Amino acid sequence: MTIPPPDTNHPAGPVEAGAPADLLAAESQAEELKMRDVEGLSQGQIVRRRFFRHRGAVVAMIVLGAVILLAFTSVGFGNWTGWWKHTPLQTGNVTGTGAQPTLSLPTWLGGDGFVWGDHPFGRDESGRDVFARVMKGTQTSLIVMFIVGIVSTVIGVIVGALAGYFGGRLDRFLMRVTDLVITIPVLVLGAVLGALAAGKNSAFLLAIFLGLASWTTLARLVRGDFLTLREREFVDAARVAGASSRRIIFKHMLPNSIGVIIVNQTLLMSTAILLETALSFVGLGITYPNISLGQLINQYQEAFATRPWLFWWPGLFIVVIALCVNFIGDGLRDAFDPRQRRIPSQRALRRAERKAAARAESAAAADSTVGASGKETT
Amino acid sequence: MLRFISRRLGMGALILLISSFLMYLLVNVSIRPMEDLEQSTARNKEQLIADRIEQLDLNTNVVIRYFKWLGNFFTGDFGVAWRSSQSVNDQLGSAMISTLQLVSAAAVLAIFLGVAVGIISALRQYTTFDYLITFLSFLLYSLPAFWVAVLLKRWGALRFNDFLRDPALTALAIAGISAALGIVWMLALGGALKRRLINFVGAGTVTALVLFYLQATNWWTSPKIDPVLIAVLGSGVAVATTLLSTGLRNRRSLGTAFSAVALGLALYVPMQYLLYYVQMNWWIITGLALVALASGAGLGRLWGGPDWRQSARTGAITAFGVAALIFLDQVMSYWGQYLAHPTISNRPIATVGDRTPNLVQSVQEADKFWLGTIDQYTHLLLPTVALMLISFASYTRYARSSMLEVLNQDYIRTARAKGLTERTVIMRHGFRNSLIPLATIVPLDIVALFGGAIITEQVFGRPGMGQMFIKSLHNAEIEPIMAYLMVTALLAVLANIIADLIYAALDPRIRVTA
Amino acid sequence: MTAAHAPVADTPPSEHVLEVKDLTVEFFVDGQWLPAAIDVSYDVKPGEILAIVGESGSGKTQSSMSLVGLLPPNGRARGQALLDGQDLFAMSKGRLRHVRGKDIAVIFQEPMTALNPVYTIGFQIIETIRTHFPMGPKEARERALELLRMVDIPEPERRIDSYPHELSGGQRQRAMIAQALACDPRLLIADEPTTALDVTVQAEILSLMRDLRQRIDSGIILITHDMGVVADMADTVLVMKDGKVVERGPVRQVFYDPQHPYTQRLLASVPHLGRPDTDATEQTDGPAAPATPAATDTSVREPARTSTGSLQAAPIESDLVLSARGIDIVYEGRKKGTDFKAVSGADLDIARGEVVGLVGESGSGKTTVGRAIVGLLPVKTGSLEICGISVVGADAQTTQPLRSKVGIVFQDPGSSLNPRFPIGESIGEPLFLHRGLRGAELSGRVETLLDQVELPKAMRNRYPHELSGGQRQRVGIARALALEPELLVADEPTSALDVSVQAKVLELFRELQREHGFACVFISHDLAVVEMLSDRIAVMHHGKIVEVGTAQQVVSAPKDSYTRRLLAAVPLPNPDLQQERRQERDRLLAEAAKHND
Repeated sequence: MTIPPPDTNHPAGPVEAGAPADLLAAESQAEELKMRDVEGLSQGQIVRRRFFRHRGAVVAMIVLGAVILLAFTSVGFGNWTGWWKHTPLQTGNVTGTGAQPTLSLPTWLGGDGFVWGDHPFGRDESGRDVFARVMKGTQTSLIVMFIVGIVSTVIGVIVGALAGYFGGRLDRFLMRVTDLVITIPVLVLGAVLGALAAGKNSAFLLAIFLGLASWTTLARLVRGDFLTLREREFVDAARVAGASSRRIIFKHMLPNSIGVIIVNQTLLMSTAILLETALSFVGLGITYPNISLGQLINQYQEAFATRPWLFWWPGLFIVVIALCVNFIGDGLRDAFDPRQRRIPSQRALRRAERKAAARAESAAAADSTVGASGKETT
Repeated sequence: MLRFISRRLGMGALILLISSFLMYLLVNVSIRPMEDLEQSTARNKEQLIADRIEQLDLNTNVVIRYFKWLGNFFTGDFGVAWRSSQSVNDQLGSAMISTLQLVSAAAVLAIFLGVAVGIISALRQYTTFDYLITFLSFLLYSLPAFWVAVLLKRWGALRFNDFLRDPALTALAIAGISAALGIVWMLALGGALKRRLINFVGAGTVTALVLFYLQATNWWTSPKIDPVLIAVLGSGVAVATTLLSTGLRNRRSLGTAFSAVALGLALYVPMQYLLYYVQMNWWIITGLALVALASGAGLGRLWGGPDWRQSARTGAITAFGVAALIFLDQVMSYWGQYLAHPTISNRPIATVGDRTPNLVQSVQEADKFWLGTIDQYTHLLLPTVALMLISFASYTRYARSSMLEVLNQDYIRTARAKGLTERTVIMRHGFRNSLIPLATIVPLDIVALFGGAIITEQVFGRPGMGQMFIKSLHNAEIEPIMAYLMVTALLAVLANIIADLIYAALDPRIRVTA
Repeated sequence: MTAAHAPVADTPPSEHVLEVKDLTVEFFVDGQWLPAAIDVSYDVKPGEILAIVGESGSGKTQSSMSLVGLLPPNGRARGQALLDGQDLFAMSKGRLRHVRGKDIAVIFQEPMTALNPVYTIGFQIIETIRTHFPMGPKEARERALELLRMVDIPEPERRIDSYPHELSGGQRQRAMIAQALACDPRLLIADEPTTALDVTVQAEILSLMRDLRQRIDSGIILITHDMGVVADMADTVLVMKDGKVVERGPVRQVFYDPQHPYTQRLLASVPHLGRPDTDATEQTDGPAAPATPAATDTSVREPARTSTGSLQAAPIESDLVLSARGIDIVYEGRKKGTDFKAVSGADLDIARGEVVGLVGESGSGKTTVGRAIVGLLPVKTGSLEICGISVVGADAQTTQPLRSKVGIVFQDPGSSLNPRFPIGESIGEPLFLHRGLRGAELSGRVETLLDQVELPKAMRNRYPHELSGGQRQRVGIARALALEPELLVADEPTSALDVSVQAKVLELFRELQREHGFACVFISHDLAVVEMLSDRIAVMHHGKIVEVGTAQQVVSAPKDSYTRRLLAAVPLPNPDLQQERRQERDRLLAEAAKHND
């Protein structure tokens, strides 16, 4: 038999099961290009690279970083006092318009020139500095958000992984437990648990409880992912090689569902911050003397007509944090999605066409500069 | 089928039972009925505490108390809220109606709008409209519901009521609104530059004309949909329905739709008498709606043709739309009376409660239904908007991704290869299949809406189940809390079974076997 | 311009249905236009079957899809495509829509995904008819029934109301064909119409298409990668590579006298069922087969086979690496009574260093046997002894030593490597787990293995997604050989690969087997591949091993009737031989039918 010489250019990619056929040819055409694109990169590096292509997500990450920095350095954390001169609880005298925010926007944003002032976000009816209070509330909300994320990830991953990997009776039992938790809306469960935590009045405790109430979605997703991964041949290969169940779960399967986990948990964190603030708003989450953004809004809603800034600032910070987290989640989803194929929009196509045309034109123009300029002068 | 349902119901009952036990224990730990007494400075503090323990049976083991509660629950008795010594059953009855009104209004609107916008967004993937909708849905996801609710209550309602006192739009405002709507339509419909311009100008002009018309006829203070408007709007409904369900090429279908509009117009005057002289209630209204649906379908049958079923479907939808317009017209005719009523005094958009106290009692018998309906709507308006926003955002996202997924399937390519019109490809092969995954999230979303209603009811002071729940949690009354939890859990279980049935109905590959 | 819908009778037979001139298809990827097909020109006459052949990425599908405007959104086509004189590319969208389905119909590769799962096949066929003809539902249903009868669907009156998932793969493809023929198209584009089907079903579908072609007088474009199918069906062949047409000509000319080196290579890569000597004996009463490169180049492989009789003797007991007696393998259902017996009463012996081919169609239980041998599925009844260890009912402790003695190569090279491991780690995992190798020792061993499968050492730090399919499968082989197993299970190791890549991987596999001397169970649906590699062949059907024998005996003198049918169904990559094979098959079927009566 004649063995054809190895032709390295041959795009011998097998068809990925499930991918729509009409894109495959395009993909195999692009394979070489793609190869060049990902050469020598690990999965993680590829994900990172794709993530940084998502402009919204990158901006969101910077903004969220700034918010975290601002919240923790300004009023300090624990025993450390931050750089801001007021504390959240220190009261003062308020007379007339003295409570107005002193912050004014720079002129290029339509303000009277940038001034930070003594009380940038104004003061409330007891003369407390709203900036300090909002910062403290932001801290609380951020802490709750991250703890909820961690707790629910741990539980959700363990439950989902065990159910998906072992299947059978264990799977049925764990899924029934999940069903049990799902029958109660998270907000309701959170309210009951919040009432429990309110007795101790600790943000940490509340966050752990909320985490206990919000792992179900992740557990279902991880289970689903594990069910598909279990059918993948590399898992069989590991089994044939004699790997233990623990090794297969943690070394082979879990890293492959990291995308699902990260994306879902990011989005969960944005609902966690809304959940905590909502509970605090109805008085079942963070209560006095601790401060939460939801609690601030509840406290100040009556003052909406007279001191609107009391209402706007805490709300704004909730929205900014949640929006940033959502955008980061979207960026991560794009980055992790294995089916992500960048189909260009009609606009991108047209733009590329124009660019190509312009290039051709300028090349042509360069060739005939003399003639063209000659014409122009006449 | 029956076996499947009974099996699932049995399973649901078991889940409810276990859930109730766990929740009872949990609630028992969470509430602190003794808190007020422990901090009290009353001289007979000891005695009071002993009395309370006696009253609440706190010396009995919690498990035994649970079984006592369960025994009562099986006899249909939810117990008594001890602080207000009100029967929970009484509380629950009215609260449930209020909450169901709110949740169902929000759910229906969110599903309808969310799916529609999501599908359009998917069809116009990677366009400005798509990006705009994506950003909007992210923003709605990130908005705290209570913040929006407070904003609507303290700002939106006030401003709108102020506007209604002297309803006059400046020319500038009209131009602004028209331009904005024009841009939205232009982006949603897309197409080449020329078509975009036509869409922009067309939509903008129509909006401006409508606004001027409303202004000129003093519509804001005395709104009405007279026959002319019914004819115009009805024709719109007829064309849109035909376009989506069978395509305008199908003359019989289009004929059916327009004859449904004509029938509605012909019946307009007789209906005025009927609605005026007969004391209305919701049963009659439902009956009339069914009559409308049936007569629309009948018209389709009369138009005949081999595909009369399609015509009947189109006719039924159109007839329902026209009937709804006539109903709205009737409701609106009471607007003036409503505004002028002393309890309303020209500030119709309500921010507190689910009805105006003493309104219905103070009007004539014949007007009770209509004024009550208006009153309910004005109270539902803001809470519904506040509640549906997040839901709307999630349906948009789901519908979009589901539709994109379906459009990538091979059978869509087959449908195109068969030479089907783009409408058929999208509606029959795309939309129909994209509903399958959507059906599974609806029940979970409705459960979430119930949770969300807690916040909305709290802000707007609607005496619904959510408020009952929060109040009881603060008051440490375990009976109403348990009643609330049982009702939500029951609804969740039912919703899941219904979702499975819908799923099976939509997807022939799924068989409902036990 | 003449009317587009000129009836067939009016068209002179010589006139072309379709003329394609300088067709170029491009895709916009990563900011640039990449060509998928370049300057493709061909024409199709009524009643002619034009086969477009090529491997994946050759542009054969996209160039045809562009004709009906079904390119993905990032694709575009230039050039000219005249359907009865009308340029398809110059048509308005609405006009082209009327051409689609009516004048040009398409049959897709995978009928399961190409038919809408939520509508009955009747609905989908009627929909096509009524889109193009003003026909009432009753009439259209009649027509649909007629079509279903035409494509030989059993019980058409019942099947018309079946959903796609309720039909078998072959029936689905028949329904798809009925749908395509609904409007008597002038041109039929069949995109790999039988690739997703089993070989016996493929033979039926191909025979149906050949039958139809005489009846409907349409031009047919057959897109395929399978040279056997081409030999069976085509009048004219167009060979594409990297978007370009490298060769075009009548089928015999292309097969017997290929001009372009790529065509020659392609034909040489195709495994050829039946060894040269067998071919010769079979051809005694047929027309003399012209020498084909494939036939003459098939290397004669040792071990020596003398006579059929002596080879049937089972290998000596002591030398067995595997001995199975009456094993049943059962997939347990979720509930009682839903268990599924995938394999029942299978007997199999494998001697040291022997390659046994396990052949069967999908659902025959061949993969199940393979998975049971490596311990991925439990065997509950019968006796199964592997390397001297009885595994039936044995616990993990007892079977532990087998983990290093039995290896497996999987079918799908895309799925068999952990995407998050560099391939060095994948290959090294068994070494780490069993030998406790680490660090330099481990990497040294991994590099040796990579060397053995002819991959550069530097690749050990690459990730699976950076490798081509063939390279990935080499990695899979390296991993399976890491522990020097005594028995290797190869489960369809090449069926996901293009034919030229397959040839290379098979060659490597053969060399490695010779060098390392492991025994091997080679599982495949492809008789030609199995014949090429195996000493003995076992044929599976419906969970039973129906025939075991030496490769030569099974292929040239099959005993079991199923084996005979299976063999007859495999299309030979040679037009004349295939014609005979077809007649032989028809005779067999007629015989079977008579037998049933």
